[in-house]
Amino acid sequence: MTERVPVFLAESLTKRFGLLRAVDDVSMSIEPSEIYGLVGPSGAGKTTLIRLLSGLTVPTDGAARLLGSPMPQERRAVEHRFGYMPQERAVYRDLSVAENLLFFGQIYGMSRVRIAQRTRELLGLMRLEDRGRQRADRLSGGEKQRLSLACTLLHEPDALLLDEPTIGLDPALRREFWDHFRELNGRGRTILLATHYLHEAEWCDRVGLMQWGQLIAEGTSERLKAEAAGRSGRERPDMEEVFLILTQASVAGGAS
Amino acid sequence: MKAYRICAVTERVLRQLWHDRRVLVFMLVLPALAMLLFGYSFSGDITDIRVAFIDEDNTDLTTSILESLQADDAFDVTVLAAVDDPERLLFESGYQAVIRIPDKFTSLYYAHFAMGVATSAQGTIDLTLDESDPQIATTIKMGLADAAMDLGEGGPVEIDTRELYGVEVRFIDSFAPAIMGLVVALISTVLTLLSIVREKVDGTFSRIWVSPVRRAEFILGYVIAFGLVALVQSLVVLTIGKTVFDIVINGSIAWAFVCVILFAVGSVGLGTLLSALAQTESQAIIFFPLVILPSVLLSGMMWPIQAIPRLLRPLSYLVPLTYSNRLLRAVMVKGLTPWQEPVGFAGVLVFVFLTILLASGVLRQSAGERE
Repeated sequence: MTERVPVFLAESLTKRFGLLRAVDDVSMSIEPSEIYGLVGPSGAGKTTLIRLLSGLTVPTDGAARLLGSPMPQERRAVEHRFGYMPQERAVYRDLSVAENLLFFGQIYGMSRVRIAQRTRELLGLMRLEDRGRQRADRLSGGEKQRLSLACTLLHEPDALLLDEPTIGLDPALRREFWDHFRELNGRGRTILLATHYLHEAEWCDRVGLMQWGQLIAEGTSERLKAEAAGRSGRERPDMEEVFLILTQASVAGGAS
Repeated sequence: MKAYRICAVTERVLRQLWHDRRVLVFMLVLPALAMLLFGYSFSGDITDIRVAFIDEDNTDLTTSILESLQADDAFDVTVLAAVDDPERLLFESGYQAVIRIPDKFTSLYYAHFAMGVATSAQGTIDLTLDESDPQIATTIKMGLADAAMDLGEGGPVEIDTRELYGVEVRFIDSFAPAIMGLVVALISTVLTLLSIVREKVDGTFSRIWVSPVRRAEFILGYVIAFGLVALVQSLVVLTIGKTVFDIVINGSIAWAFVCVILFAVGSVGLGTLLSALAQTESQAIIFFPLVILPSVLLSGMMWPIQAIPRLLRPLSYLVPLTYSNRLLRAVMVKGLTPWQEPVGFAGVLVFVFLTILLASGVLRQSAGERE
């Protein structure tokens, strides 16, 4: 039996910007085929954590591993196997939808034929079929976001790092995104995503709650609910209450 | 390093330029406009200076002087009857010069030649001149001297002129290489700078750095794209130079293109370098005058470096265009090979290596360490 290497692994991962500890001693392990949601207020360090795992940011301390490779030192070994969706929709606004996909396919060494094929698939999946020749800056916000996701999925990565993929989407579109995520997950993809929307946490296999750069709670949403209920005496809190209870507990308990 | 990734970056940059019609027009119109504007306004040829001509002698000789002046584009000659006070004429009628040929000029002129230099009074032409504009005054003096020289007798003054590099070099001939350098430097630097800052703002930069694209591939992709752009722009400058101004190109055009492309490479490096200092597009715009002003003012493009105050002259040698000008002028006007102009050639090479090297370091920075 082969040993299962965690897809994303953080070991006492720390990133300081000057005096600010953007990510502070975070340890986490995300197993294959998991959907892991990072939640927390803005400025909690979710984006930095994702950038550390993607190799874009060099850790101050500790280690980040992606599919077993230390990041960013050995990112060459895994760069074809993961996809990253940055928070800023990250598409070329002056290129058309198809040209964006063409470029991101080419840099991954895909053939033009394969890119054309994947483009058809993804534009169908994202319901952008008739948008292929449209310039990205003429797309609506939701369409741009779907294009951004398509650019991330184009080279069929096993591991996905998605930074706020559903931010600003209307509820219907957000559900559609989640259908994609589940479908990808069903085909064995591992997803680590950051989100603002607390109820999305319930759709994840596991949730990590971040505050001030620290991972203050982790587990299934059921477990977090139970923990919050235990601390506050509240029966069946919803995710928002869980968030409030647990972050306050961390303020009270962890001030040092 | 993989060629297909370099090509992907080049193709993408060219597609972006192609889609932005304003940029595209700017890229092609700028060299044309610069060439036409500078070519006409700085061609050094002054025309239509108003000159009054008073001939009191009225001989074949004096008529030939008049004809010679009239044939000169620089002058707009009005023939007037004799007046008492040429100075008043100048003040009141707005002439910039009054040329008066006194009675007996012709006889004195021939007598002078017949009798030898020291023995007789020479024929003189009275020139009353508005000295308030030295350039115009000089043109008038030279024009009149030319007219007097054209008399055919050899004239009283003999001027020995030696022209280097074969042909008469006009201002526009040595200006075309400078325009080529300037336009290529501006477009390559400014568009690279904007494009990379935009990648940072939009986040496409992050996508690139998690992809297999290497820094060297990224820079090379930009370099090839703007090298091609530089080639097209040089063609525009040369075509206009040749068809409109009939510029003289003594050297090899192939070498000129090699040098222009080399300079474009350095300019892409400079743009990349500057992109590290700007986080937003509006911050990037602040750098435009920083690139343009020294290039135009200090590079020896409009006036020779020797005309720049000694105190400022060292700055000229920090401006990349200074070296490009020397190099391109040597290649195009003098017909030399690049290594026969070692200062210009070395300057451009140092510019290329330095900026590309630093740009590569800068990309590592902005790729890795962003908040």
